[in-house]
Amino acid sequence: MTKVKICGLMEEAHVKAAEGADAIGFVFAPSKRRVSVERANELAKYAPVDIEKIGVFVNASLEEIEKAVEMVPLTMVQLHGDEPDSLVEAIRVPVVQAFSIRSKQDVERLKNSVADYVLVDAPGTDHRGGSGNVFDWSLLEGGGIDASKLIVAGGLNPENVRSAIKQTRPFMVDVSSGVETHGRKDSSKIQKFIQQAKGDLMEQAIEKVGFFGKYGGQFVPETLMKAVKELEDAYTEAKQDPEFLEEYHHYLKEYVGREQPLTFAKRLTDAWGGPKVYLKREDLNHTGAHKINNALGQALLAMRMGKRKIVAETGAGQHGVATATVCALFDLECVIFMGEEDIKRQQLNVFRMKLLGARVESVTKGSSTLKDAVNEALRYWVTNVEDTHYLIGSALGPHPFPTMVRDFQSVIGKETRRQILEHEGRLPDVVLACIGGGSNAIGMFYPFLQDESVKLIGVEAAGEGADTERHAATMTKGTEGVLHGAFMKLLQDDAGQVQEAHSISAGLDYPGVGPEHAHLADIGRVEYKAITDEEALKAVITFSQLEGIIPALESAHAIAEAEKWAKQMAPDELLVICVSGRGDKDMATYAERLEGLT
Amino acid sequence: MKRLADLKKAGRKAFVTYIMAGDGGLERLSEQVKFLQNAGVTAIEIGIPFSDPVADGAIIEAAGNRALKEGVTLQKVLDELASWTFEVKVPLIVMTYLNPVVKFGIERFAKECKRAGISGTIIPDLPYEHRELVQGATQQEGIALIQLVTLTTTEERMEAILQEAEGFVYAVTVTGITGARDHLAEEVREFMKRVRSKSPVPVYAGFGISKVQHVDMLRGDVDGFIVGSAIVQAFHDDKIDELLPLIDAVAAPSSV
Ligand SMILES: Cc1ncc(COP(=O)(O)O)c(C=O)c1O
Repeated sequence: MTKVKICGLMEEAHVKAAEGADAIGFVFAPSKRRVSVERANELAKYAPVDIEKIGVFVNASLEEIEKAVEMVPLTMVQLHGDEPDSLVEAIRVPVVQAFSIRSKQDVERLKNSVADYVLVDAPGTDHRGGSGNVFDWSLLEGGGIDASKLIVAGGLNPENVRSAIKQTRPFMVDVSSGVETHGRKDSSKIQKFIQQAKGDLMEQAIEKVGFFGKYGGQFVPETLMKAVKELEDAYTEAKQDPEFLEEYHHYLKEYVGREQPLTFAKRLTDAWGGPKVYLKREDLNHTGAHKINNALGQALLAMRMGKRKIVAETGAGQHGVATATVCALFDLECVIFMGEEDIKRQQLNVFRMKLLGARVESVTKGSSTLKDAVNEALRYWVTNVEDTHYLIGSALGPHPFPTMVRDFQSVIGKETRRQILEHEGRLPDVVLACIGGGSNAIGMFYPFLQDESVKLIGVEAAGEGADTERHAATMTKGTEGVLHGAFMKLLQDDAGQVQEAHSISAGLDYPGVGPEHAHLADIGRVEYKAITDEEALKAVITFSQLEGIIPALESAHAIAEAEKWAKQMAPDELLVICVSGRGDKDMATYAERLEGLT
Repeated sequence: MKRLADLKKAGRKAFVTYIMAGDGGLERLSEQVKFLQNAGVTAIEIGIPFSDPVADGAIIEAAGNRALKEGVTLQKVLDELASWTFEVKVPLIVMTYLNPVVKFGIERFAKECKRAGISGTIIPDLPYEHRELVQGATQQEGIALIQLVTLTTTEERMEAILQEAEGFVYAVTVTGITGARDHLAEEVREFMKRVRSKSPVPVYAGFGISKVQHVDMLRGDVDGFIVGSAIVQAFHDDKIDELLPLIDAVAAPSSV
């Protein structure tokens, strides 16, 4: 798991852009990227607390170095001059010693370093401290260098970092000029570099393209294979294109209203008497739930592919509304399939979709809920595949959908991670999200997957009880199988027939869970729990009355489970709940089920 | 399956029918197979019902739901076939979605198919890319894993698929799901020609074939026809006799 350092930062925006890195560097030696100790101290405030802050020096005195370590404060020091071993040994924090590599002899010198880490760079031209020239990585091969101490720099950029990592397998890669445009740092290049460098480890779960461990794949009829492959190619290309990402983020900000706050829930914290509780406010998004993060991304992608017709399924109607909304925004033709049962319990959303100009098709087959709506949407897609994009609403379906939906929803977790660091200066202890197909949960969890101290809890619907016949507790009760294009976990009988799911919450009423969740459960990274209809309804009341936020029924499942965790946790701990949506759409159910509420 | 190649060599067209096992009760299956083989069909696809048949249209889905209500399972169908004592004169092919096979166990599926006298299998949601999941087991038992090509199959994929084709190639005549249609698009003929020119095994046109006029349109460009929804509906309505002219139009020696 190679770490990433972004060096030579001078501006706040770039420090923020580097939040996904493991280390950032400030240059105190003569260089066009030189900053003062005071400035570095300012900048460091914008960096996550757990990121390494490394000061770069050339032949500085111990006194100067110690002052900077104290004031910024620095967690590591990097030396690029002819510093004697005695100085290296006198520095309190871990030291990186840099070497320019021209020949095998230089490799020998580097092997004798007393520093904690050695950095290899191409020889500098003007100032010492890195030139941006590419050096011959093959010089390191067979040199007997301890890769766990090795930091590779020199001419790295988003395009070549992967192969550099592959060739040298270093402890860390270091970049500066490779993420600049016209001599100035470039946020999108910084992010791209991190993404490329981390690609290996973030996607480590994917053994083959489109698989998470053994789950995933593209189990679709032949007619859809071309569309699925085209989508895969288009998405792979789009996610590398800074312009596409910029457009996506532009609409998230200007249209959806991001970023959403991470609200401290004071009364809930007091009532539960445990950890400090924070709420990620996806309920504040335009259209009232997280679904629009994904609908927006996919609509932009569809247009990029030249497709102006959209088909989608919906359960609670939130994804249908989000899809109808972006279709109105971009003038796309829109057909939404929705189970008859869901149409009944989510009348308001049906009307919203129609008002937005979408055609809503009622599905009367099977249980007339989400699973059946997906079937019909797939059939429609098979029939209209040449000009239609299937805008799937959760982290489900054939590759690349589960990956793509996760990526578009990861904005939830990315914001949360940064916000909790801003509020509390540390990562949370427990993060919870509800699970229907698993999109808000994977979007929340994904940016925390590498943070092993953070417990991640997915909450599915136990309906009338996970041990009854009527539930949607796929992770708790399901077995492996293939549905809607992916190998995943399913509620099914002994003959492989998919069973109907039951939940009071239309958005959780699905007998499968996305493939990445199945994998995260297998490797033990995420724990899955189930909450009953009754528990969720109780949480709706508590939450509404304590926080003044009426949650969606789906989100209430996460809240109910959060209470159980809170009861076991200490006051100095931190708990985050993803409030995936607001409860407006559920008002009819609340009115009926919570009758007599005073 | 060799029989299919022989038929092609003899210049005759194949008529393959699809029936839903257990629609109307599993006991009807043997009657239906006997009826069809007497009527002169070339091969019979035995459909296994599935709760979520996304490649199928309303007729086959409804038949599947009726069969599921009867409690039909893959195991029961294979047991039924294995118990037959009458002479089955045509190749039988199991058509099933992947999930029931995965649940059943893939190796076990291949073995039990063999035991039941099955010659091939079609799994519409198992694309070429994932065929290894099943192919090892089916090859072991000598069961052909029949591949589909469609109007949207790219040139490159088609070459790859055809190169490894076993039994016959199922060439899908519509961009869509199964079900009877009035018209077939003109482009279908071109498509069939293309597939046939490259295929080492017979090419059969399926999905939407329900009328003599469809057969007439494509006769020169394919090695046979697969008829599903029309047969399924006819059996359900007890009007199977009405389809005899269609079977004759294809399979009768006079139609060469
Ligand atoms: C508010 C809300 N939360 C959660 C979900 C569940 O979906 P997912 O698991 O994909 O986040 C839905 C689905 O409709 C929803 O509307």
